[in-house]
Amino acid sequence: MEGVLAACGELGFRETSVRTILERSGGHRAQFYQHFESKEDCFAQAYAVWIDRLCVNLLEVAATTPGWEAGMREAIVRLFQFVSARPAISRALFVEVQIAGEPAIARHEAAVERLAAAIDGARAGIDPEEAPPDATGIFVVGGIEACVGEALSAGDPGRVWDALPELMHFAAGSYFGKEAAEGAFERASIFLTRERARLTGVAE
Amino acid sequence: MTELRLIGGTALAEPVEAEVAQPLRLPPGRHGIPADLVRAHQRQRLLEAATAALAEQGYGRLTATRVTELAGVSSRTFYQHFEDLWACLLAAYENEAGLLSAEIERACAALVEARGPLAEADRRGRAHAGIAAGLDHLAARPAVARLLSAEPPPQIAPLAAARRDLIERLGAMLRSVLTDPAGATPLPGLERRLIGAALALISTRAASGDPQRLRELEPELSELLLASL
Repeated sequence: MEGVLAACGELGFRETSVRTILERSGGHRAQFYQHFESKEDCFAQAYAVWIDRLCVNLLEVAATTPGWEAGMREAIVRLFQFVSARPAISRALFVEVQIAGEPAIARHEAAVERLAAAIDGARAGIDPEEAPPDATGIFVVGGIEACVGEALSAGDPGRVWDALPELMHFAAGSYFGKEAAEGAFERASIFLTRERARLTGVAE
Repeated sequence: MTELRLIGGTALAEPVEAEVAQPLRLPPGRHGIPADLVRAHQRQRLLEAATAALAEQGYGRLTATRVTELAGVSSRTFYQHFEDLWACLLAAYENEAGLLSAEIERACAALVEARGPLAEADRRGRAHAGIAAGLDHLAARPAVARLLSAEPPPQIAPLAAARRDLIERLGAMLRSVLTDPAGATPLPGLERRLIGAALALISTRAASGDPQRLRELEPELSELLLASL
């Protein structure tokens, strides 16, 4: 299952054939079609396993960090560490998934909604009168994903770290407005300056 | 003389299926229509077919064959116009990105003319008008919404670059309608994050196949794009 993601992450989904997947994972064609209907199906199943693992990981980090802003930041840090450590798998999860057909898209949407529901915990601290739009969680997840995808597409996953303060501004601002966004940006900038060497060291 | 009906530059106004069922073609054979007009018409049809084919097949399965089928031209004609599938899709993308930007600019400019110099509240009003116009434009053309919002394969570098250009362009528009020339400059990359998130949201809604869901996005998307600026 890792084989299909690694192949698609390195070569691209369109360029990856069932034969390529088999060459990497060492099975036979007949076996492949016992387990999977098609390349799309194989990708979608592998995607589901990996994205589930990653989601659990991110949600755990967020849940064990006190405060919404710090939880959000730690989850993004964990995501960036994953992206830096596993760039090929990450390309499959964040870039190729967009073109891998309906089965993968459906699982992608489910993962986005799951993360969005957790981020929506921010609402607990907001006066219902000033509640942000329903789509806020999905918007924030989409923005973070687009940022990660951009760095991976450019072949430079390490540069996601530069975007941390900006993403915190974006996430906090979407829920709490401009002032909170500026505060989150400041705190994330200080955090990044202080911790960057340690965080990126872990990834390598 | 044969009536010549060129398709308008704004592409698919009807759902993709309707467009497929009735391809607008010039009559075959001798018709006395100037060759360059025929070529322009063919090209326009190919751009619209590429957009429709992408909505139908997605980037994973898209083929030049499907584009020629939908356009009702031979593959020879296709390659007379474009080097390959991606060149055709790139031309469609750039064309539609230009139309969308123009539509948003028009809506923003109309409001400025109507109200004169802008106070802060008016600046937000102008941003709202632009966002509403953009979403309306896309909701009327679901296949175009998918073309412009969906993430292309990064291996097709010119197409990925065209999408980045659109994000930059829309980001710059968002910044210019909002920024008070006397005020502080907003965070340089923030608009890009906002537009990236908006395109992701639009892409999901457009893929649902219900244009109404795109139109309904307007108040929410306006609020989200303006919340942190």
